[in-house]
Amino acid sequence: MPVVTLYFNRIKKILGRSIPKGKIIDTLPFIGLDIEDETTDHVNVEYSPNRPDYSTDYGIITGLQGLLGIKLGMPVLKIKNGKYSIKADPSVCRVRPYVTAIEARNGKLDDETIRQIITMQEDLHNGLGRRRKKASIGIHDIEKIKFPLYYKTVTREHSFIPLESDVSMTVKEILEKTETGKKYKHILDGHAKVPIVVDSDEKTISLPPVANAKLTEMNTKTRNLLVEVTATDKNAAEGVLAVIANTLQIAGFQLYSVKITGAGNSTPVLKSRDLVLEPDLVNKTLGIEISNQLIVKSLKKSRLDAKLRGKKIVCSIPRYRTDIFGVMDLVEEVALGYGIQNLTPTMPESVSAGERNHTTKTLETVRSLMIGLGYLEVMNFELTSKEILYDKTGRESSKIISVADSKSQEHIILRDMLLPGMMEVLSRNIHESYPQKIFEIGTVFEKDSLIKEGIHLACLSAHKDVNFTEVKSVLQSLLKTGFNLSCNTVPQKEPMYVDGRTGSIVINDKKIGSLGEIDTKVADNFKLRTPVAGFEITLTDLLF
Amino acid sequence: MSQVLHPIEQKILKTLNDKKNLTPEELATITKLSLDQIRRGIEWLKFKNLASVVESEKNLITLGKRGTEAFEKGFPERQLINHLRSLDGYSCEMNDVKNFLKNEFGPAIANAKKNGWVEIHENRIMLKGYHDVTSEEKIIKTISKNPTGISLDEFEDKNAVESLKKRPEFIVVSSKKSALVSLTENGIEAAKSVPDNIDFESVSETSTGVEPGAKVVRAIDVEATAPIIFAAKSHPLRDVIDEVREIFVSLGFSEIIGNNVQSSFWNFDALFTPQDHPAREMQDTFYLKDVKANNIAKPDQIKKVSDAHKKGWNYQWQNEEARKLVLRTHTTCVTIRALADQKHDEARLFSIGRVFRNEKLSYKHLAEFHQVEGVVVGKNVTLRDLMGLQTEFYHKMGIKKIKFWPTFFPYTEPSLQSMIYNEKLGKWVELFGMGIFRPEVTKPLGIKNPVLAWGGGIERIAMLRYGLEDVRELYENKFGWLRSVPKCQ
Repeated sequence: MPVVTLYFNRIKKILGRSIPKGKIIDTLPFIGLDIEDETTDHVNVEYSPNRPDYSTDYGIITGLQGLLGIKLGMPVLKIKNGKYSIKADPSVCRVRPYVTAIEARNGKLDDETIRQIITMQEDLHNGLGRRRKKASIGIHDIEKIKFPLYYKTVTREHSFIPLESDVSMTVKEILEKTETGKKYKHILDGHAKVPIVVDSDEKTISLPPVANAKLTEMNTKTRNLLVEVTATDKNAAEGVLAVIANTLQIAGFQLYSVKITGAGNSTPVLKSRDLVLEPDLVNKTLGIEISNQLIVKSLKKSRLDAKLRGKKIVCSIPRYRTDIFGVMDLVEEVALGYGIQNLTPTMPESVSAGERNHTTKTLETVRSLMIGLGYLEVMNFELTSKEILYDKTGRESSKIISVADSKSQEHIILRDMLLPGMMEVLSRNIHESYPQKIFEIGTVFEKDSLIKEGIHLACLSAHKDVNFTEVKSVLQSLLKTGFNLSCNTVPQKEPMYVDGRTGSIVINDKKIGSLGEIDTKVADNFKLRTPVAGFEITLTDLLF
Repeated sequence: MSQVLHPIEQKILKTLNDKKNLTPEELATITKLSLDQIRRGIEWLKFKNLASVVESEKNLITLGKRGTEAFEKGFPERQLINHLRSLDGYSCEMNDVKNFLKNEFGPAIANAKKNGWVEIHENRIMLKGYHDVTSEEKIIKTISKNPTGISLDEFEDKNAVESLKKRPEFIVVSSKKSALVSLTENGIEAAKSVPDNIDFESVSETSTGVEPGAKVVRAIDVEATAPIIFAAKSHPLRDVIDEVREIFVSLGFSEIIGNNVQSSFWNFDALFTPQDHPAREMQDTFYLKDVKANNIAKPDQIKKVSDAHKKGWNYQWQNEEARKLVLRTHTTCVTIRALADQKHDEARLFSIGRVFRNEKLSYKHLAEFHQVEGVVVGKNVTLRDLMGLQTEFYHKMGIKKIKFWPTFFPYTEPSLQSMIYNEKLGKWVELFGMGIFRPEVTKPLGIKNPVLAWGGGIERIAMLRYGLEDVRELYENKFGWLRSVPKCQ
């Protein structure tokens, strides 16, 4: 989850008053933020990506103001009519159809404010922007731009100086050579022409969704900004713009509209929307009985607007709250405003007697039998490696089931058998005293036309006198005491076992597993010097 | 004295009472017990404060090369006089003797003269005096009987020993560390009650007042330590899983199980997670290669779920995307499917099983772990009920201090997380999450009543329970740990 750094001196400045540090720390979790760590001058908090308005300290302080009762209700965007415009060319429709923008004037940027804005930009790119695929942002020094702006497409030979560089590069070069280019070029795959935003002097200010131009880079001297968002989804574009506009307004900027025209685009409105909430739903869901007035107040503490209309509550939601889908989201807002700590737990009456699953019961029985036979339970991962599963055991690997792009080399293949992992366990314990007797009950996977899951039981016995007969005895007792079954063991050849000391386990003409003495070469691959014997059976075949 | 003594102990006590300080080796020789038995016996006696052991250093003498020759063929001076005796007139020329004794000539003459056995006149050697066996010869003979060496202190004629030391390669003196065993005062006292006939049979007819004629089992040392054997048992993580399961059952929940491999439809789509959501990307989720699901759900379920996505998230829902097979990222896919298929109006269900995340393994992250999830369906269930169930669960786990914070989960609204106070760590720890299924989840699947859902990872509880700092230890299966973790915690 993304992290925001909150400096206490900035909190004081933005709030315009001093709140004890302890009170701030105690309140943060109750607006849904997780405290990562704290020092004397700052605290790092994690926020959930569904609340991009918490991606800066400005947004978090807005939330705190509500819960602390300093400021209630919805922050209203004050957008004056601006003089600038962007015209979209129909050619963008095929690649990235939507553009929207806002102008923010007369603000002050210090290093920390710039850092907060850039962090917000990245978090929005990753969250609402779906790693820039759905929406991406350019924030520019407006004084460097000659309006009107044009949103259009150009060939990949088009060139300008991108933010990361000091020299002019072609689009092709930017996509191939720069870090961000390599990371996001896939979004433009399949499009010969790419979208750009250019000004009236034909100067490029951005190449969405990859790079902005060096020309319009903001710094601590910048006072007036242009925020431009391009997207494949108009709703997402305006949601992103609303979060930034709200943040910049709290940061002290004045907002002006930018006129957007062309190719189905229009000037963003960024106005709030209303939802009607039944007080009964709130009380019934939360298990409380609070007055309509208290519901209204709680919503306002969550920085929404609310008023009573007859027996219902009309709730206004600011445009930047993209996380609110319907009334149930408002119920949560009431809970937060009311205070989670004020909800006391209640115990519902049970309507039924609980029960373990039938499979669970049977597996527990098998487990207790194996323990009774002197075997220690081990637990291995279901995802393992080709090395352990096939290479070291000399087994054939044509039906391998692997996962895509695992971050760990040891966890790529779904096991089709338990014994290899258990051999690895013995291998890790060669310095421990013998005899070593272990068993495992676990899920294994088999590739058919689909993936079949089964539950296996396997055991291994390792000591200097171990042999076929010992493990066959264990198998027979298990089958007899557990299921009143007897089995035949039929000679077979299996790569894991010694030839002439292995058999397939057959019950009622059906093979349910194998047993035998483990081949010394296999044991050697696991660095085992002690003789090992064991068996593995499919419990699923046996029981269900 | 009430102590029961093993025959070995009795033997050692008796022997040490006769001869004060002995090495274990000497004890073995005298008692005719094996050295192992003696060592064991000494340990027992030491433990009971009947014997004490002092480590000491002894000078031991063994025969050198010439000493062995001297023992076999006689000392050079003895050979000389034997030679002279065989001659007429008991005398001969010096040169004859030289030829006969070769290198030993010098020492032979010198020692024979020293012993007063010969006289030399004008190059002729003549026998004289008595030729008794010398102290040196006696010493060599004694040493030869003790090939492992004999203590220097055994010999009274120190001068003779000194002179032997001076003769090259006759004797070798080496120091050897050894333990000297002696009795303590308690030991001397205990030795008094040792019977003369020490009984090594396992059964005797002596001792306590049982029926005449009955065979009596000889008493053994019940205080002695016995070897450790390791009980076969279930895995410690399994014990925590079983405990959690038992608590759910006791709270009225019935267990359901499902597959580890699920279609994206049930793992994500049915839970209102949009198809372009970052959580669905490969860097967080394990997708199976080269295989897709066929019949993911009933046509009606697919249609309604896809409609909810289109309405809520405003994008083109893809059936292909929903067919991708994943290793389930939570057990919620199992519970939601059960609810969707069975349409309970009132129910308490739970599921425990493995879940998977594409994570790099670290001390706090696994790619595969166990999760439990419970759901309560009911007309009148509330968020406070959910908090109550959670509180009850923790109480049954022995956790008393609990608090709730708001949080976010994609498929529940409202959502809470529970924090528990861990006494060992002295801090609040995040544990189970919970919430009420969103209408966007329940409505398309035809679930009418509210559904409370709660759950979380079990390894985390196991770590707290067993005091582990590295979650990977749970899956390392080190016997040292598996064998030693107490079963009752």
